[in-house]
Amino acid sequence: MKLHEITLAVNGTRETLSVPAGMTLLELLREKLYLTGPKEGCGAGECGSCTVLLDGRPVTSCLVLAVETDGREVRTIEGEATDGQLSALQQAFIDAGAIQCGFCTPGMVMSARALLERNPHPSDDEIKEAIAGNLCRCTGYESIIAAVRLAAEGREK
Amino acid sequence: MIGTFDYVRVGSIKEGCELLAARNGGAVALAGGTDLLVSIRNTGRSPDLLVDFKDVAQLNRLVTDNDAGAMIGACVPLNVIADNTVINDRFTALAAAARSVGSYQVRNRATLGGNIANASPAADTAPALLVLGASVNVTGKDGTRKIPIDKLFTGVKKTSLRAGEVITDISLPPVGSRARSAFLKKQRVKGHDLAIINMAVSYDPDAEALRVAIGSCAVTPILLPPVNLSENEPIDELAERLNDIAQAAISPIDDIRASAVYRLGLVPVLLSDLLSVLLAPEGGAR
Repeated sequence: MKLHEITLAVNGTRETLSVPAGMTLLELLREKLYLTGPKEGCGAGECGSCTVLLDGRPVTSCLVLAVETDGREVRTIEGEATDGQLSALQQAFIDAGAIQCGFCTPGMVMSARALLERNPHPSDDEIKEAIAGNLCRCTGYESIIAAVRLAAEGREK
Repeated sequence: MIGTFDYVRVGSIKEGCELLAARNGGAVALAGGTDLLVSIRNTGRSPDLLVDFKDVAQLNRLVTDNDAGAMIGACVPLNVIADNTVINDRFTALAAAARSVGSYQVRNRATLGGNIANASPAADTAPALLVLGASVNVTGKDGTRKIPIDKLFTGVKKTSLRAGEVITDISLPPVGSRARSAFLKKQRVKGHDLAIINMAVSYDPDAEALRVAIGSCAVTPILLPPVNLSENEPIDELAERLNDIAQAAISPIDDIRASAVYRLGLVPVLLSDLLSVLLAPEGGAR
């Protein structure tokens, strides 16, 4: 199968790889770069557990081809912590008890990250709209909404 | 791996159309991929080549002008349309319809051109484009032509696009200063879901023109024949009159999302809700 050489920035690091056209961005991240934070749930853009930021915007990486990301910038959950220190948003998820099994968390955090970047003080309805594409079967969502609110409030201090 | 296809990113419409023509049906145009890639994955039927048009600058333009209407490139993502101030103010039904598609992440990839080219009977932007009188500009190897939106959809996932033709822009004619439109969608869950039924209504008090379009209730989205408004007709009587016209025009089926009977029952509910929004006395139009 024909391979395409692509260069992209992943969490600030430039990567050059050869990929077949049918490989998804999710497969590239997990199987080529061993960034296993993004998860595959449905593989059809329904569950959001593969959410990453592509040029700053959240997308479901199971529906993006790796070859489409040539020249682009990707951020994953692995880019949240700096020097072993969790981001305030990650810490808010822990403090609010917003993590149970954890499968949805990497995608949920990335959707919340993108929301806070475009809207630092979202209303509860805006939080709900932003994470509507991220399914969680454990928490019932209330603690996740509280975590995003907590992270937003933390910014004011 | 989603499929065995190869991939080319093109820099111009001409380059892309030549590739589509040369492959004689083996190549498929790629925009956001949120329908196409899922379909390839689910069916296991892979085209030979995906021709990615997303980087063509012309296809990413969104131009609005009060006098000239709006021109939306086929590859403009639905979130960009949903967030555009002029589209929200002047073409409200389209902004609301764009916002109702999939999830926020999907709308960052899904495009207006893709939503209509995919031609799902449940396509959310279709009823909005129908009541707004949109035209679809298409290009193929033999040149360009304009298809009125009500001539685009010919069946379930079927359009009047010829082999090798791609949608380049969707143009919306200017709307009157007092004209307005609205869109509603009924779905199984509050989050993201396909429509059980979706509906758009546009109303221009100066032209006395009212248009209604319904999706997810026939093999294509349906634009009802135009109705003349009689002066001082109460909203509930108008809703009843429109419901009679709608019930005759649609032919819903039972499917995984709802029964045909339930869909027929939702028509007067959505009609009444939309007419209340558009025609209520406090709106000042009637």
